Amino acid sequence: MRPRSLFLAIGAALGLGAFGVGLIRSQDQSRFPHLQHADLFPVCTSCHLGMIEAGQPIWPDSEVCTACHDGTIRPRVDWRPRAGPRPSNLRFDHLTHFALGNQCSQCHNQPGATEMAVLPARPGPCLECHAGGAPHLEAPSAACATCHLPLVEARALSRERVAGFPKPPSHEQPEFALAGHGKAAQLPSEGGRFTVAASCATCHARDFCITCHVNAPEISAIQALGADERSLALAGKLPVPVTHQGADWLLKHARQSRPSTTSCAACHTRESCLTCHVGSQPAALRRLPSAGPGRGPGAQTARTAPASHTAEFANRHGPDATARPASCETCHVRPDCLGCHRPASGRGSGFHPEGFLTRHAASAYARDRNCSDCHNPAQFCQSCHQQAGLTAAGRLGAAGYHDGNRAFLIGHGQAARQQLESCASCHAERDCTACHSAIGGGFRFSPHGPGFDPDRMRRKNPSLCIACHGLGVPR
Amino acid sequence: MRRHVGLLLSLLVAAPTTAKSQGYRLRLDARAQAVSYRGLTPDSIPASEVIAGSTGSLTTPDGIALRCTGGTYCYFFRPGPERQGVPVSGTASLIMWGLGIPDLTLHATGRLVADLGDADAWPGTDPAVQLLEGYLEYSRDWFAGRGGRLLVSSRLEPIGVDGAWLRARWNRYDVETTAYGGWGLGQAAVVPITSPVLNPLDEWRPRDRQLVVGAELAWLPGPLDLRGEYRREIEPETGDYISERTAVSLSVRPRADFQARGGIDYNLAEGIVGNADLSLTYLGPRFTLTAGGRRHRPYFSLWTLWGAFSPVPYHALHGSTEVRATDWLRWRGRAERYWYDDAEVTTPLIQVKDRGWRVSTGVTVNPRPRWTIDGEYLAEFGPGASSRYFDAMVEFDPGERLRVAAYGGVLERPLELRFYDARTWWLGGRTEWQAHSQWRVWADVAWFNEDRDRPDPAATTFDQVRLRSGVTLSLGTNADRVPLLPARRGRP
Repeated sequence: MRPRSLFLAIGAALGLGAFGVGLIRSQDQSRFPHLQHADLFPVCTSCHLGMIEAGQPIWPDSEVCTACHDGTIRPRVDWRPRAGPRPSNLRFDHLTHFALGNQCSQCHNQPGATEMAVLPARPGPCLECHAGGAPHLEAPSAACATCHLPLVEARALSRERVAGFPKPPSHEQPEFALAGHGKAAQLPSEGGRFTVAASCATCHARDFCITCHVNAPEISAIQALGADERSLALAGKLPVPVTHQGADWLLKHARQSRPSTTSCAACHTRESCLTCHVGSQPAALRRLPSAGPGRGPGAQTARTAPASHTAEFANRHGPDATARPASCETCHVRPDCLGCHRPASGRGSGFHPEGFLTRHAASAYARDRNCSDCHNPAQFCQSCHQQAGLTAAGRLGAAGYHDGNRAFLIGHGQAARQQLESCASCHAERDCTACHSAIGGGFRFSPHGPGFDPDRMRRKNPSLCIACHGLGVPR
Repeated sequence: MRRHVGLLLSLLVAAPTTAKSQGYRLRLDARAQAVSYRGLTPDSIPASEVIAGSTGSLTTPDGIALRCTGGTYCYFFRPGPERQGVPVSGTASLIMWGLGIPDLTLHATGRLVADLGDADAWPGTDPAVQLLEGYLEYSRDWFAGRGGRLLVSSRLEPIGVDGAWLRARWNRYDVETTAYGGWGLGQAAVVPITSPVLNPLDEWRPRDRQLVVGAELAWLPGPLDLRGEYRREIEPETGDYISERTAVSLSVRPRADFQARGGIDYNLAEGIVGNADLSLTYLGPRFTLTAGGRRHRPYFSLWTLWGAFSPVPYHALHGSTEVRATDWLRWRGRAERYWYDDAEVTTPLIQVKDRGWRVSTGVTVNPRPRWTIDGEYLAEFGPGASSRYFDAMVEFDPGERLRVAAYGGVLERPLELRFYDARTWWLGGRTEWQAHSQWRVWADVAWFNEDRDRPDPAATTFDQVRLRSGVTLSLGTNADRVPLLPARRGRP
């Protein structure tokens, strides 16, 4: 056997052993072995006469035990009768039920078993009379109140006992948490008082509902429940509705919340919406309740980009932002825009990925996006290139920066027309007009290429022409 | 310099106690960064000292490649001095209401910036006091007007204007019209074009600020958004045009899971089509698919000569998808093929590519509720420069208020027009702490190591250690707009 398997086996054995010892000890301490004492106490009333006769004790005297269990005849037993009733949420009275002709064995014995094979009371016989024989956890709501106290009145129950309450099958239904339980809990009000289904009140108190329900103060069924911190022993889970899971939910939710926010308010505070809606606040949002005493914290939302905001969206959001600014403003504030479009010098990474400075030449050269939407070419490109020694100091080609090809000077035309913005990030216009000008010592090399409309340019801004042609602008 | 830092600190400390009006919301953001790098220094030696190699290459005596043009001197670049930049900035964004007139609000966003480093090496730190936006807004159901310093969003790129902006809406006809005008700011800048900070190379600049006027008409019937706009910039003294452009854009969402959008702009001043794009997006329950095409043509104002050099546009077809395979796994991919218009230039000695492609793919995994692992690979091959890039990030979110991330990556970057193939590695860590509902702090440290493969000793380095940190405060009479951590998909 491998060491890992050996450890697992030993661990499992120790665990099972500990569990078994615990189980045995638990049984020894909690249950009296009635069957072993059947010869001594053949009927229940031998010890529990108080169950059928008022004024009689419901427990035997401990001296009855020590008559045999004195340490000589039998091992000594240290037992004392319990003071007061068993902590329970039952509304049950043995005397009344006995007076109606019920026998102990109906509840405490399996059918056909000997009387002293005593078991804890079964709910089945109760339900046969009080709930038409329905299974315990599927009984009609009103039947719960027949046998059980509401949780807030069952003060003797510990938090641990509450945590051990069985879960009804109805609670496992997929729709129960989001739709079913509200209908089941709601009852017509009685004389202006809030009412709630007994099936809810038996196990739950208001504190439990508030763990999810933001609109608890507005729901009569929740207000009908008392407050009880023990109800938090049962863990409630707020599921995400199926409608909320679609990729287009962020787009749809505004339209659906516009007519009414009643269903939204079940789970959402205004603050949960503000997680995303930091810009202008829609009217539907303002109708939601704010978080506060008596209200649940509600659904904890995470600010998640909508499906339309793919990784590509940051580069191409311009048309959307100009066409539908109101959509942007629901989740973005002005500083979000200015942070990129007028970036601060101390700003860290943001729009661009880490290390972009080292690779920006490739992006700038091929114009994956329009740099000048956010960066002034002179202030941002030229000044930084100047600091790094990357600006031209004279006529093109003299310094030899473009040393990848010795003939670059006389063959730069295509590269320049394709990436003129990159040229302008290091070169002043005078570097070019040194050759491409008709005046001032220029070589009269025409820079004009495809699409150039000289007449239109001259009409719009004649000084542009004069800069290279002087007053002799050709017509 | 210290005065500016003092001003910033005073603002941060004093704002919570002094900014009490009938209603306001104030967001303060301060951040700092420390970076060092080593650039290049142009140098020269007499042609008589040049060493000729066996292959005909020319070098300095210590082996650095030279360019000799037949003159007395030959030129080269040697590694420059190490420069250290410590840019710091503080941004305040304020909205005030209850100013005595219903529906009147004041909006302002300003910034204090400085470079505490010894070389003033970081861009954008001058002027020290910058007003990004500052305007009064009067807004009713059908009408809105703004006056002051504005940043006008538009398909024709955002533009800063000191002037007025008006918008009217006729809901009955689903029509909205906007007009604006004023004195313009520099492109993507918060200072006018006449400012020296926009002229580091001492080029020609206009004497006066340009006048800007623009208008937009939109038709917004339900899922459709169709709008056309016009913008003109002129020199006030001569009346010469600096730009005149128009654009049309369309966005339509006939179903919740489908969207089409596109637009085109036309440069009236030069008579050329500018940028254009069209994309179709399907938002499925488990995946998002986008396909489209675009055209990009750089835009230059007419107070520069660059437009006369006839830059040619490129056209691209692209597709991207994001698949939400499971609740814990998302995959994304993108591909684009692009090609330039014919530049109509004959350069027999230089072969420059006129087409390229780029692909990227990434995956985001949430193996456990509080853990996020993200990786991305990108390959780009095109004219001028290319790169292959991989980065990864692991993020742990131990609670609503804290986020910790570690990241790293590698980049290979060959350059076509320069001997500078390089490989860069980096590692970093970042943490964000929402210490209080109204303030948040973050810090980031990253180490970059660049290994440049150059066949001579002139290989410079961009090795860096970057330290960054910041704090954001949100204050107000109804301070319900807390500063947020970025959406979960975001990478640090």
